[in-house]
Amino acid sequence: MPKSKAKDLQEETEGTISRRSVLKIGAAAGAATVVAPHLLGPSKALGFTDDPPDEPAVRCVNTTPATPSPAHRPFIDNFTAPFPAIPTNLVPAPQEFQNAPNEAPRAPHQRWAQFPPDVEYEMKAQAGLHRFHADYGDSYIWGFNGKYPAPTVLNVYGHPTAVRFRNNLPAATTTFGRNEITIHLHNGHHGSESDGFAGDFFPPNFYKDHLYPNCYAGLDAFGGNGDPKEKMGSFWFHDHRAEFTLNNNVMGLNGMYLVYDGTDPGHELPIGPSLRLPGYYGITDFPIILTDKRFCATDPVSGRTEMVNAAGGDKWIVNGKIQPKLTVRRRKYRFRFLNTGPTQSYDITLVKPDGSVGTMTVIATDANFLEHPLPVDAGAGAGNSNSTTAPIVPGAIRVSVAERYDVIIDFGQFPAGSKLYLKENRPMFVGNPSPDPLPAGLAIENVLMQFNVVNREWWFPPDTPAIPNTLCTYPTLPATNNSWEWQFVLAGGRFRVKRPFDAGLGCVFDPDHSAHCILRGTTEEWLINNNIASGWLHPVHIHFEEFRTLKRFVNGVEVPVPPLHSGRKDVTRMEAGQGALIKMQFRDYNGRYLIHCHNMGHEDNFMMVRWDICPDAASLASCLADQQVCQLEMEAKERFREEMA
Amino acid sequence: MDRRSLLTKVFEPHPASPGATRYTNAVLRTQNNETVKFYDDLIRGKQCVVNFMYAECHGSCPAVTQTLKTIYRTLNDRMGKDLFFYSITIKPENDTPAALKHYAKMRNVDLPGWHFLTGDAYDLKTLRYRLFNMDHPGLDADEALHSGYLRIINDARNSWGMAQAFASNRNILRRISWQDNPKTYAEMVVVNRAVQEQIMKDVKKFGYRRDI
Repeated sequence: MPKSKAKDLQEETEGTISRRSVLKIGAAAGAATVVAPHLLGPSKALGFTDDPPDEPAVRCVNTTPATPSPAHRPFIDNFTAPFPAIPTNLVPAPQEFQNAPNEAPRAPHQRWAQFPPDVEYEMKAQAGLHRFHADYGDSYIWGFNGKYPAPTVLNVYGHPTAVRFRNNLPAATTTFGRNEITIHLHNGHHGSESDGFAGDFFPPNFYKDHLYPNCYAGLDAFGGNGDPKEKMGSFWFHDHRAEFTLNNNVMGLNGMYLVYDGTDPGHELPIGPSLRLPGYYGITDFPIILTDKRFCATDPVSGRTEMVNAAGGDKWIVNGKIQPKLTVRRRKYRFRFLNTGPTQSYDITLVKPDGSVGTMTVIATDANFLEHPLPVDAGAGAGNSNSTTAPIVPGAIRVSVAERYDVIIDFGQFPAGSKLYLKENRPMFVGNPSPDPLPAGLAIENVLMQFNVVNREWWFPPDTPAIPNTLCTYPTLPATNNSWEWQFVLAGGRFRVKRPFDAGLGCVFDPDHSAHCILRGTTEEWLINNNIASGWLHPVHIHFEEFRTLKRFVNGVEVPVPPLHSGRKDVTRMEAGQGALIKMQFRDYNGRYLIHCHNMGHEDNFMMVRWDICPDAASLASCLADQQVCQLEMEAKERFREEMA
Repeated sequence: MDRRSLLTKVFEPHPASPGATRYTNAVLRTQNNETVKFYDDLIRGKQCVVNFMYAECHGSCPAVTQTLKTIYRTLNDRMGKDLFFYSITIKPENDTPAALKHYAKMRNVDLPGWHFLTGDAYDLKTLRYRLFNMDHPGLDADEALHSGYLRIINDARNSWGMAQAFASNRNILRRISWQDNPKTYAEMVVVNRAVQEQIMKDVKKFGYRRDI
């Protein structure tokens, strides 16, 4: 076959050896090579093809200026939700203590006795092939269980879950990915041994079990499963490997994790306290996972389309597809926007058939219900964009990296046959005209996806009632115990997080030293400051628990908190010159957590800091002493530098 | 087994290494006045730490050199075998090999595996841009900005990272180790066992994994 010949030739010339050529060499040498089927693993013996593919023989190269991706025809692929993850029985069973020797080192699971897992999943980080568009060939990706986006984990509060993240990535890679992983569930309330700390990455052949208790925050104070007012819904998990988070996320190592409870049960039936929001996953409730990528057609023989290195794409990807289409019935739908970055923000508007801006009703920000739903549109709701300095796109929801916005769109107001569009403010490269006439003022380059409205069939779930005026009541925050400031700066030519008292350039990401020690059970107010040596946008993310924004500042002057930032959040968008005073509790668990800029290019630089929750006064004192030691060493170096000057 | 590989370590570059197209094969001279090609002789298949300095510099350069000296002592067993330090001058007009030799001797850092390098001004500027590229014309042009950073390259793994010279030495060592060649499964199991022991001690003492 010419295809395989071409590939073999490539292998020979490139000097790489695939499994296939190894077999061939064995045969050619005349050795009595008998490959026992069981050695190849059960899947191969049974003829399944979940074996990871070989690395692409031909790689894309970066060019300056960047070469546009191949053209695509809009609205060919269907928009679908990622397939739900299927629970499994893990062998060996997850344990409180590290499962030596194949589990990566970790502290024992906290609250294991209280939350023994009753659901288990396995997420294998491994190579796979994904087709981003019907006009494209396969692309080599890394995904969980070989899929991009990863299978969505659907979970229920009160059912603790163990997820085994297994590293099945290739032992050596010629891609821009890094084959070491540490997976963060953004923004789970759990022990730090399950938090995917950036320095705790592990190589292929190992796994790590994370215990996600699916509890509400407030375990110490409320007992049981915590305070239900702390409910969250739209989580996501992604690789957090220090220095290579961007690369590994571009390779595809991320996915969604939804948790349901009585008010938000994952169905639409009038049962219990359900708010009866559109809620059938993949039918009336969809994640919209956004990223940008650049491609090149590497090899006309195999027809492969590979991803070009790292950030700065010219195709906007929606749930793994370019400009997909979704058939919607004349009823309400829930969409959960998630920007997986790696660096760009999206300004998303709903464009109606007449070209005007439609209404998206925001019900949740970063996984937390707003107390009252907030319609965003070009009319009365204009200015609901959460920006205070960057140009506001009327009626747009601005989604920074790692932010989530759950919206409800009511297609019932449009006649069957209508076509609506999600518009992104920046144009992408398309290369083909739209097959359908677009609304006035909308260019095909700005379209993320298309909605085709049809009448509801008898078998399709009927519309849900009107969105309730009150979705939840927020918990009352206790008095503040301590105030702290983090400055997100560009100092010495690098992005970093500084404390006001830091000498010289301040911290770089240091997995071995805590930059801030917190006593468990306390509440702190943090000033997140992007007002010094700035000029850059930083979507700042705090691990572990949701915060409330008390105040926002622009160039040091207090401004009203934008409506979309008034709710509970875990990412706060800091444009140049902005600041935010946030309040957050530190409770229920001990350990190492992070605050960092979620622009993945920035966090891979140095813009990330470790902070610790200490269980008691003695632990806190030793943590503070260590923080001091690190500080003294840095200051000594600074002094030496000054003496030499 | 090839007899040569028993005597000297063979430095094989990673198949995806950009090689001389990124690192250039600029012809440089060491403090011992040896002529070396930057990629072929210094980077190819090796792990190294690169910083920029000049001999007459006061302040950052001696401070960074002092830090590197401490790191060198800690990693003494690896130095010159599978780990190398390259201190490249940004003022080649003053820093002749002899001047660099003097600088190294004066600071007690004329050590195996630590090369002080000079060469053509244009080549050195190119190297600086290639190794510390911020994609920002203003920042890249500022020579002083790079003096406090260490570029950590491992061509056998086609990876690079960075450390700040003014961070703690432990942080620098950690960041160098992040670019080490992959360990075998058996080696990893041994490493993991030691890490796990430390974690359990931490948990007992501090109530959580402290890692200090």
